[in-house]
Amino acid sequence: MFFRLLMESFRRQRRRKMLAGVAILLGTTAVTAMLALATTIGDRIHKELAVYGANIVVYPKADLLDVKVGGVDLKPASGGAYLKESELAKLKTIFWGNNITGVSPELPALMAIARKAGDPLIAVNAVGYWFDHDFNTFKTGAPTLHPWWRLEGSWPIPRSNPDSRSVVVGTNLAKKLGLKIGDTFVTQGTQSAPSSRLTAIVAGIVTTGGEEDNEILLTLHDAQAYVGANDAVRRVEVSARTKPEDAFARVDPDSLSPKQREIWYCRPYANSIAYQIREAIPGAQAEQVRRVEQSEGNVLKRISGLMWLISAAALLAAGFAVSAAMATAILERRGEIGLMRSLGASKGSIALLFYAEAGLLALIAGTIGYLLGSGLAAWLGARIFAGDGVAAEAVLIPVLLPVVVALALVVAIAGSSPSIRTALRMDPSTILREDA
Amino acid sequence: MTVSEVKVVTGPLADPTGSTRDDCAVIALKHVTREYAGHGGVVRALGDATFSIVAGEWVAITGPSGSGKSTLVNLIGCLDRPTAGELKIDNVDTASMSATELDRFRADKIGFIFQQFHLIPYLSALENVMLAQYFHSMTDEAEARAALVRVGLGDRVSHVPSELSGGEQQRVCIARALINNPPILLADEPTGNLDAANQKIVAELLQDLHRNGHTIVMVTHDPEMAGLAQRRIALSHGQVFCHPVSGPMVTLRRSTDRL
Repeated sequence: MFFRLLMESFRRQRRRKMLAGVAILLGTTAVTAMLALATTIGDRIHKELAVYGANIVVYPKADLLDVKVGGVDLKPASGGAYLKESELAKLKTIFWGNNITGVSPELPALMAIARKAGDPLIAVNAVGYWFDHDFNTFKTGAPTLHPWWRLEGSWPIPRSNPDSRSVVVGTNLAKKLGLKIGDTFVTQGTQSAPSSRLTAIVAGIVTTGGEEDNEILLTLHDAQAYVGANDAVRRVEVSARTKPEDAFARVDPDSLSPKQREIWYCRPYANSIAYQIREAIPGAQAEQVRRVEQSEGNVLKRISGLMWLISAAALLAAGFAVSAAMATAILERRGEIGLMRSLGASKGSIALLFYAEAGLLALIAGTIGYLLGSGLAAWLGARIFAGDGVAAEAVLIPVLLPVVVALALVVAIAGSSPSIRTALRMDPSTILREDA
Repeated sequence: MTVSEVKVVTGPLADPTGSTRDDCAVIALKHVTREYAGHGGVVRALGDATFSIVAGEWVAITGPSGSGKSTLVNLIGCLDRPTAGELKIDNVDTASMSATELDRFRADKIGFIFQQFHLIPYLSALENVMLAQYFHSMTDEAEARAALVRVGLGDRVSHVPSELSGGEQQRVCIARALINNPPILLADEPTGNLDAANQKIVAELLQDLHRNGHTIVMVTHDPEMAGLAQRRIALSHGQVFCHPVSGPMVTLRRSTDRL
């Protein structure tokens, strides 16, 4: 009988239920979209801010030490210490290894070049990079971490001919030397073997807006060979998904109690990831690039605040709309309420019936709202983060379904409560007389 | 003789078994008053009502509009509670009950028959009867069907109210009132909305129920219907005037003797 009454109320008051349902639907659609975006916005913002470069830089700890004798700094200008390229694989083994999304090691070299043999030599800076390096689960390199670099031509390919190198030339340097794609030039030997000569082929010309515009970019292995330091890396840029920085992120972990330190360690702050990198790679100093981290944190904080505000407003509006629709629906059925009371129905059993109606409505509208909201989030995501390759399934977050349905239930029940309470307070005999 | 000319206070009546009226009372009011707070002060809808109705008795409550009939019906139907005095239904003082207990008590003790039938329009005759079962305890389709057969609607069980005549709807209402076997049937103008033919059918049905031992308290404006009752309780300006039994003396029953 309960279900019969429940179903009939939907069949008979289709319009009223529809109005209340649409209110819940709109509210939950907005909330789902906001929650879905809020859940994934960290990743998206990180991707967006990745265009500003890495958020962690790793370099040899020895570079921190001053080597002064008699007031003279004896440390080589380019830095004398190296990290080992082979140890970079350890980045994936740290606690937050899966949050590392890009790695770009660098090795600078001073190169003497001439357009052709016999021409006067020109000293230029060269830097070895990864360009499309297979880093276990993803491919990475300088282009990934510097998406603003504009390349004409192609990135250097790993050396196939021992007598020639494929390089990319910075745009200013290319202009200065009159180099075009496909041109060749010669390098005056190597730092390790100065008498040898190699031919370099210009695979591309890059515009970065930075120092690279005056440099030669070559593969890391070529740079290592040129410098004569196998497996050597001078500096590593790391891009990692991190939690926005807060006061706790900035504390010195060594000053914390073991429990607090564990909490700090297990949070994906840039600082804690840098700390873990220092632990994983001996002799490495890792530090966060604070400007990027702070920007990410500020953007996230503001967007999250705005989303919560929109969600709350949507739910509040839905609550009012449900309240109005349910008030009319219940008023229309006051005769039934009076009859039920005269038949001995307790206020509780009648309230249960109306709350079940509101609950069922919330369940249906909440579920549809979840699906629509997920779609809306996908659409919004694709619009806001254009070019991010956002797919609909990327925001269909199953864990949000119970949350959204629970919110729909709260809205429906809270919205219906005033009308239900008013209806139950009415004198049944008065209702029956009025209904007569 | 008019209602206002004679005021009769019912007292203990002897019956052939030796039981007194108070022993057999299924409804007993002692100095019952019901007042409401209105804009112009307190309004006394019913004042100092004292009478009792014995099990198996058929009583008609009459009076003009505003005389307190509805207030009295609400009190007897446990839809309301007196401001002062004692109201006992089946020997239980309703004043001491909580709202929930009163709901339960109403489901057990009172069967309502309304002038406007008050059937749920989207439920069939059978389901309307089962609705009373549902709020009382649990539904029993066979029992509900039997109740409809008893009121002559065995072939109309699956019809919704709009497919039934006024008389048939009232009979569904009577079947619903009877389904939980309450000791008291409270009928509010049961024929007030019926044509003569249907009025006759319903009147015969009530007579039949009375013959079977049901206690019937009936509010009516219709002198013919009031004449079917054994006793008439007349109300005027919130005061109760009781008339002696006009027909053959009822055989008093204890409430537990109800069929």
